[in-house]
Amino acid sequence: MQGASPRPAARAVDLGKVYGEGDAAVEALRGVTIDFASGRFTAIMGPSGSGKSTLLHCMAGLDAPTSGRVFIGDVDLTTLSEKQLTRLRRDKVGFIFQAYNLVPTLTAEENITLPMDIARARPERDWFDTVVDTIGLRDRLRHRPSELSGGQQQRVASARALMSRPEIVYADEPTGNLDSRSGSELLAFLRDAVKEHGQTLVMVTHDPTAAGHADHVVFLEDGAVVDEMEEPTAERVLDRMKSLEA
Amino acid sequence: MWRATLKSLLARKVRLALTALAVVLGVGFVAGTYVLTDTLDKAFDELFTTTTAGVDVVVQAKSAFTPVEGGGGGGGQERNPVPEGVARRIEAIGGVQRVVGDVAGYAQIVDPRTGKAITTAGAPTLGANWDPLTGLVLRRGRAPTGPGEMAVDAGTAGKYDLAVGDRVQVLFQGPSGEFTISGIVGVGELDNLLGATLSVFDTETAQRVLGRQGEFDTVNVVARPGVSPIQLRNAVAAALPKGFEVLTGADAATQSAEQLRQGLGFLRTALLVFGFVSLFVGAFIIFNTFSIIVAQRTRELGLLRALGASRRQVMVSVMGEAVAIGLAASAVGIGAGVLIAVGLQALLRLVGVELPSTATQVLPRTFVVSLVIGTVVTFVASVIPARRASRVAPVQALREEGAPPGGSLRRRIAIGFAVTGLGLAALLTGLFGGGSHAAQLVGLGAAMVFLGVAILSPLVARRIAGWLGAPLRRLSFSGKMGRENSMRNPRRTAATAAALMIGLGLVTFVAVFAASLRSSASAALDETLRADFIVSSSQFQPFSAQVARDLAARPELGVVSPFRQGEIRVGGRTDFVAGVDPSTIAAVAAVDVAGGSLHSLGDGALLVYRGVARSHGWKTGDTVTVEFAKSGKRKFTIGGIFTDNRLLNNYVVSLPVYQRNFAGQLDMIVFVKARKGVPIDRARRAVDQVAAKYPNVEVNDQASFKARQAGFINRFLALVSALLGLAILIALFGIVNTLGLSIFERTRELGLLRAVGMSRRQVKRMIRWEAVIIAVLGALLGVVIGVLFGWTMQRALADQGISRFALPVGTLVAYVILAGFAGVLAAILPARRAARLNILEAIAYE
Ligand SMILES: Nc1ncnc2c1ncn2[C@@H]1O[C@H](COP(=O)(O)OP(=O)(O)O)[C@@H](O)[C@H]1O
Ligand SMILES: [Mg+2]
Repeated sequence: MQGASPRPAARAVDLGKVYGEGDAAVEALRGVTIDFASGRFTAIMGPSGSGKSTLLHCMAGLDAPTSGRVFIGDVDLTTLSEKQLTRLRRDKVGFIFQAYNLVPTLTAEENITLPMDIARARPERDWFDTVVDTIGLRDRLRHRPSELSGGQQQRVASARALMSRPEIVYADEPTGNLDSRSGSELLAFLRDAVKEHGQTLVMVTHDPTAAGHADHVVFLEDGAVVDEMEEPTAERVLDRMKSLEA
Repeated sequence: MWRATLKSLLARKVRLALTALAVVLGVGFVAGTYVLTDTLDKAFDELFTTTTAGVDVVVQAKSAFTPVEGGGGGGGQERNPVPEGVARRIEAIGGVQRVVGDVAGYAQIVDPRTGKAITTAGAPTLGANWDPLTGLVLRRGRAPTGPGEMAVDAGTAGKYDLAVGDRVQVLFQGPSGEFTISGIVGVGELDNLLGATLSVFDTETAQRVLGRQGEFDTVNVVARPGVSPIQLRNAVAAALPKGFEVLTGADAATQSAEQLRQGLGFLRTALLVFGFVSLFVGAFIIFNTFSIIVAQRTRELGLLRALGASRRQVMVSVMGEAVAIGLAASAVGIGAGVLIAVGLQALLRLVGVELPSTATQVLPRTFVVSLVIGTVVTFVASVIPARRASRVAPVQALREEGAPPGGSLRRRIAIGFAVTGLGLAALLTGLFGGGSHAAQLVGLGAAMVFLGVAILSPLVARRIAGWLGAPLRRLSFSGKMGRENSMRNPRRTAATAAALMIGLGLVTFVAVFAASLRSSASAALDETLRADFIVSSSQFQPFSAQVARDLAARPELGVVSPFRQGEIRVGGRTDFVAGVDPSTIAAVAAVDVAGGSLHSLGDGALLVYRGVARSHGWKTGDTVTVEFAKSGKRKFTIGGIFTDNRLLNNYVVSLPVYQRNFAGQLDMIVFVKARKGVPIDRARRAVDQVAAKYPNVEVNDQASFKARQAGFINRFLALVSALLGLAILIALFGIVNTLGLSIFERTRELGLLRAVGMSRRQVKRMIRWEAVIIAVLGALLGVVIGVLFGWTMQRALADQGISRFALPVGTLVAYVILAGFAGVLAAILPARRAARLNILEAIAYE
């Protein structure tokens, strides 16, 4: 495959983000321009503090950029009101954080259908079954998060992110707190979602193997895109990382 | 350790301010009550000192005791008069320079603009003679002279726009009169005396219109220069026969002040009760806040323990925090109390009650009591959370979601039932057993029942909250989440609700009691009263006996039966006696008398209510000693025992007996029946025509009389409910506080909900619903307890006229709904804060 598909699921144009003011100002993003192709799996890599999370937050409508523009589909997020942004997050975006993804009072099932319940929309039963079966937690649906392992919790969070069939799913180091087995299970599940259901996925990861399974890798350093790689392999990613950190 | 305490105190300013507010309000109320009553007390002392400043010795007839209500005379003294001859004898005593006799009595001015009698907010309407020795000062015009002139107090003159030269009608016990206003007077610097209206005449006129021809109530004596008041007092006392009381001016001032002081003492106790209720509610808020704070600091406490802090140190640090808050809040509360007292005084002045002005009195006692109470309440409320904190194990520093260990369920149940049971026992003993500490027992019992239920309520809070919130689940996602949140920590929800339960419980109790009172009063009239018309004064103050005489002269009316009431003492206890006309009362009062009849009530005979007779072991024919303030001890034969005291008092005597033994001779009520064969509306016209001459008198039939009584009861209900409003307000602060702390605890979860698309509005709604569920839960518990209290109280007083139990269902439903709305109000600030959380910071929050 070459180049991005004609209509990207999300894109950023000259995106800048500055935290704080004056002497204390930190420039987390310095003019990032990037396309996330529809139906593809993009991995974002970069050293700690390079702006990966900030990029995801800005592109998911969780944080407001200082300059530049962010699009999901044709919608410019920087023109949206707080209300519209909330709606967009609910209907068009899925997000998986590193931890604490679940509401402790709700069961696994209720957590999965959370965005629908918020929207008072009826979850598609078939799709729900498909998602639940893929994460393999059918027998845990009535459990509360405190009764689930870390890996199970992240799988529930992923199911929630996919449940509303959003235009794009962002995952910020979703395996960061998991042991390697739970981590690879989760990755396999997310990859399947892209392959079999055409879900667009953008994931921040430190793991070259995980990135090796992506369609596309973006390298960030000091808030700027320093390299991109199509059809990566784990070895090539590892090499590139080494040169970045050197 | 102390540094850590102080730091954690400062770090949580807002929450602490809210917690402290619960104490501040309660202490403020207590301190305010003390300051107000002390200030009034002092003011009256000063006032009576000035009004007797020029008087060295006061002479009056002896009084057996001081009636609380001032006797049957509407402000007149319950004493025998002093004959003018005695005054003349005093003039002849060596060392006497001047002698002035004074009279005072009922005199009500008619507003010339409306033709209605001028009434007060409970203060008497007085007539007196012009005597500058008693502190009266002329403001405008001149002193009244002759039978056609009077002066009026500046307060009344100002309020009703009366000027020198105006002609006004004045009502007396006897025939009313018309006077020209010759002057406007003040009482020292004051425009009036505590809101009383004052009509001042020259001495001869005053004696005539007040029914004291040839007599005085008191005689004021001024000493010659060089003669001390005590010397003069001894000289006068030696010269007078027995039966007269001779006092120095200073002693007389003290005696007058004493009477008011008793009334103030009653007011003080009544207000303090509300202050204590508020503090009791405040204790729940403090308990709850500390419990939550300890729970949230579990990791920190574990860390302290891991670093070597002992259990004792942890406990002392939490208690130290409580004592610091208690002290600070009490200090602020005292300040608030002074402001409340000053404000209330201003308010009283605003509604026309002139209070003598004096420096605001903040006695050391006020400081000590307020500070101790506020601090002790806060400290006691913190003991259990502090103990819980001390039980946090060092390993809990490392755990993710640590909570301090709670007590065992079985222990909670055992303690809860024990406290409730003991409370009920105390309550019932107090209500049914009587005894000298009955009121204290009832109060203690009620408090323990509330406490016991509060201890037990976490057991059911989850279920009830779930049940209350069930309809919300279908209503909206926010409703569903609000319900979940109200159920997730039953202990917290229950403790928050319990604070509201107390206020609502008391308000409900009062409402149930008032409804029972209304229903009983109405039943009493239905069952015992056979009058066509009831003539009474607009504020149930006694009125001229001339009304009954005028009514009796009308041919349309068959029965005209006056009813008087006065205070007596029997076996050391004060009670009321009714004075009735035996020849007519039986026609209007359906009261069974065993061993006699109303009709045959003669001189020297006394009818007694069955309950009273039973408790004294009296039977018909026994001799009983009754003490009157005016005439002292008198022996009576029990002429019969009646079975129903709802219309009459516990004791009944005939009018002639009443006339002999009471100074005031005013009627409370006149019962009227149309003559047989006269149509009721013709009879009504006749009564109305008579009443038209007496602007303070009002005519009712049984239905409108009932409505009037209901009106009185409703006003009482409104007043008590308003005073309990403070306790409810504090409970609402409790909800605000709990919600605030819960939100703080759920920061990450709120961030997550917002991240996955929950709108600000939905977040606000979610918190609102949680508040509504907590509030309604508290209200329901309170209503149940209040109804039980009301029912128990009615049973206890069934014998004393409250024969019926009534449940004001509409009112109670309204209370629960209002509580729900109050929950919405309490949620405003926490909801706003939750909705404004920055999503990313919230998610990253530890
Ligand atoms: N809320 C914030 N306030 C101030 N600085 C921030 C904030 N969040 C991130 N930063 C800074 O912005 C830069 C990028 O952070 P981040 O996007 O979290 O990096 P990454 O996820 O790649 O580790 C870092 O220097 C970080 O310290
Ligand atoms: Mg990051």
